[in-house]
Amino acid sequence: MSGGSNGSTGPPQGTPTAGSASVAGSPTPGSPATGSPETGVRALARFRAVAADPLAELAAVKERTGLMAVGYFDSYMPEEVIMAHGVLPYRVAVTGREDLRSGEFIQGFACPASRDLLDQALRGDLALLEGAVFTRYCDSLRGVFAVWDSEKLTPYVDFVRYPTVTKTESAVKYLAAELREVSARMAAALDAPADERRLLDAAAACNRKRALVAELAARRASRDLALSGADYLAVLVAATTMTPDDFTSELSALLAWPPPGEPGDALPVVLSGTTFDNVALAASIEGAGLYLIADDLASGSRWYCVNVETARLAAGEGSGMYADPWEALAHAYLTRPPCSVKEPSSPRADHLISQVRRSGAAGVLFYLTKFCDSEQAEWPYLRDRLGAEGIPAFVVEGEQKGAGSGGLQTRLEAFREQIEMSGDEL
Amino acid sequence: MSTRSDFRPMRLEATESLKSLIKTYYDDLFRTAAEGRPSVWLNVGVPCEFFYAMDVFPFYPENYGAACGAMKLTPKLSAIAEAHGFSADLCSYIRTTLGTVFSGEGPYGQLPRPTVQVSAMNSCVAIMVWWRAVERHWGVPTLVLDTPLVREDSTGINLDYVESEVRRMLSWVEEHTGRTMDEERLREVVRLSNEGKDLWAEVLDLRRARPCPVTAADIFTHMFPMVALRGTPQYVSHLRALRDEVKARVDEGFAAVPDERYRLLWDNLPPWFDLRIFGELAQMGVNFVIDTYTQAWGPRYMGPIDIDDPVRSFAGYMGAGFLNVQIGKRLELLTELVRDYEVDGVVFHSDRSCKPFSLVQVELRNMLLERAGVPGVLLEGDHNDPNLFDRERAMGRLESFLEVIDSGRA
Ligand code: SF4
Ligand code: SF4
Repeated sequence: MSGGSNGSTGPPQGTPTAGSASVAGSPTPGSPATGSPETGVRALARFRAVAADPLAELAAVKERTGLMAVGYFDSYMPEEVIMAHGVLPYRVAVTGREDLRSGEFIQGFACPASRDLLDQALRGDLALLEGAVFTRYCDSLRGVFAVWDSEKLTPYVDFVRYPTVTKTESAVKYLAAELREVSARMAAALDAPADERRLLDAAAACNRKRALVAELAARRASRDLALSGADYLAVLVAATTMTPDDFTSELSALLAWPPPGEPGDALPVVLSGTTFDNVALAASIEGAGLYLIADDLASGSRWYCVNVETARLAAGEGSGMYADPWEALAHAYLTRPPCSVKEPSSPRADHLISQVRRSGAAGVLFYLTKFCDSEQAEWPYLRDRLGAEGIPAFVVEGEQKGAGSGGLQTRLEAFREQIEMSGDEL
Repeated sequence: MSTRSDFRPMRLEATESLKSLIKTYYDDLFRTAAEGRPSVWLNVGVPCEFFYAMDVFPFYPENYGAACGAMKLTPKLSAIAEAHGFSADLCSYIRTTLGTVFSGEGPYGQLPRPTVQVSAMNSCVAIMVWWRAVERHWGVPTLVLDTPLVREDSTGINLDYVESEVRRMLSWVEEHTGRTMDEERLREVVRLSNEGKDLWAEVLDLRRARPCPVTAADIFTHMFPMVALRGTPQYVSHLRALRDEVKARVDEGFAAVPDERYRLLWDNLPPWFDLRIFGELAQMGVNFVIDTYTQAWGPRYMGPIDIDDPVRSFAGYMGAGFLNVQIGKRLELLTELVRDYEVDGVVFHSDRSCKPFSLVQVELRNMLLERAGVPGVLLEGDHNDPNLFDRERAMGRLESFLEVIDSGRA
């Protein structure tokens, strides 16, 4: 086990803060000749701002482009399908706000993350959306869909009859056919026909942004680039909020002119869980002397590895999934490391272990959202798999709200100390 | 409000024969294991008929969980599962059965390890993770049969996909058990299954009588054969006896609840650990003349299976099973039931364990009041875990609800 050094506190040292104009970075090999260290700092500031208020970014994009927007809720929904209609996709991020209205519509044992999404719609925050598309994903989101649908919380509401089994050819073919049907309904509802050329372009643009996020993650894991876990989460939120081209350009700038900083002596851990959008909570986790060096999140490493085979499609080569963009899309989304709501489950554990190995993390912090059945039931298995590899793991249960509590800080500090002590014994 | 404290609902005679049916079933389960014959664990969304036709013994952990619940064993078994890291917030069926799997404790001792497990996605996500835990603990080969959640019906590409999934499951079971599907035997099993379901439909229909001949507790108790014995001769004979007895009660004008003043509908699973609550409510003139739970095996959701094309026909039923469709269908069902059974009010049992059943209830209650003018009340509880059920509070809410109904009448 690789342990952290004693007495570590706080997130990576030297991580720049927004507007810290005096810090200087140096361009990475092959980076654009134009630009300056300020470019990277500005890009990071932009990501932070978008993550702090994603709806403001959506409003700005709508204003600039005049396009409609359709929301979605989980990373199994191919945003490319929405883009194929010339419509902006917007993954509704969990706000972590305490302002609950959903209690009038759904019981409190729907998971708090799913209720947060419903609250946003009930408060009218999502009035910018012309539509929303759900997949089943989990039983809490299924309940949220029922309310959304019957209350018509967006003018257009749709549902993808999504497969759970991910590793069969028939599931790929079925999902491709299902996405076509959803697309036909979306075209009719929004009077915005899909265009296959646009679908391919969307897949290529999304591939580019996902690959860049993968590069960012790899460089963080290899300590080539020091960005706090909180900032990394801000990048993830921005990735599904900004337009792909805008995001790609900003992330390219960040990668070319990475703000300087050393990881410091905070204890590096992998953050595991479902979707995690709460930047403030991540910052507070890191405030306990942990460094979220890598992730096993549905909105992170289990998402950015999606790669739609666009090159062969564009060249008109091949057969099967290489001849049909919908099948290529279905294949790409179904073969990502599966979430606990999908089958099979062991690749998730393999993926998590590989995140630990590649980043040299000292352990895993498993963030369990209250009432999340699939993750609750998966935790003992993941704990045991990690245990068999000698990787310490720690679970915290929470509501994805605010910046966490003082109790959380104390528990995290105990976790850190426990790992550090066991590291010293080795 | 007048009560009749001396009153106890009269039990059906069929309840006695049910006990021996259950005993025989469990004897068969253990004998199958002792003789090394194949068995399968299924969730209720997977039809047992296929397995009877393959001579692979079908066992339903949800049924077993309910039995443990009725014996009030859930807190003890749940504590064992929790000690293994499983959250107390998970469905109480899961905690109950995993408690047995991990410890061997339970009403029948340790359950025999099945040869294979199959779970379908047509009820909840929790089922899949439940089966995974058993798979890992015992090393049992496990298959997930995909039935994507639909809005209302399984047709077109969805039905084709579910049918392909059923066929994938059948080949997989054949491969892992060494048994093959006997088409002729399947036809006979399906014929018996259809016959029994027709009888069940009659029983449900007979509950429309005024006064109602049975209580909800009577009918909930009879779920076991509907789940685990469909397609067997004993299932048909039991259902026939049940139908005959209920029909005789109707012919005689028998009232399961004398002075039936409130005809209510129960939505969701019952509290298995406290079916007596229905008897206590009967003392206030309350009878739950119908419920949504037992409809899941009724003609609306489990209509006759086509003997000439059972695989596709079962696929249709699995793809649009009771918990695999959405709020529109539930509202339609409730609206029809309150009309057909002349229901005065609906009690929505908000079951902490069961998200797919429960998380639409607030909306359903509001819509039902708006569209059918029938009031409803949410009752917080759980189907298996008494620690999640505040009985006193529940009784208080129910009494207030009866007053709401009374004021509506006035
Ligand atoms: S945290 Fe779990 S229960 Fe909540 S929305 Fe995500 S997957 Fe569903
Ligand atoms: S959550 Fe509901 S459907 Fe799922 S196992 Fe529990 S009782 Fe059954």
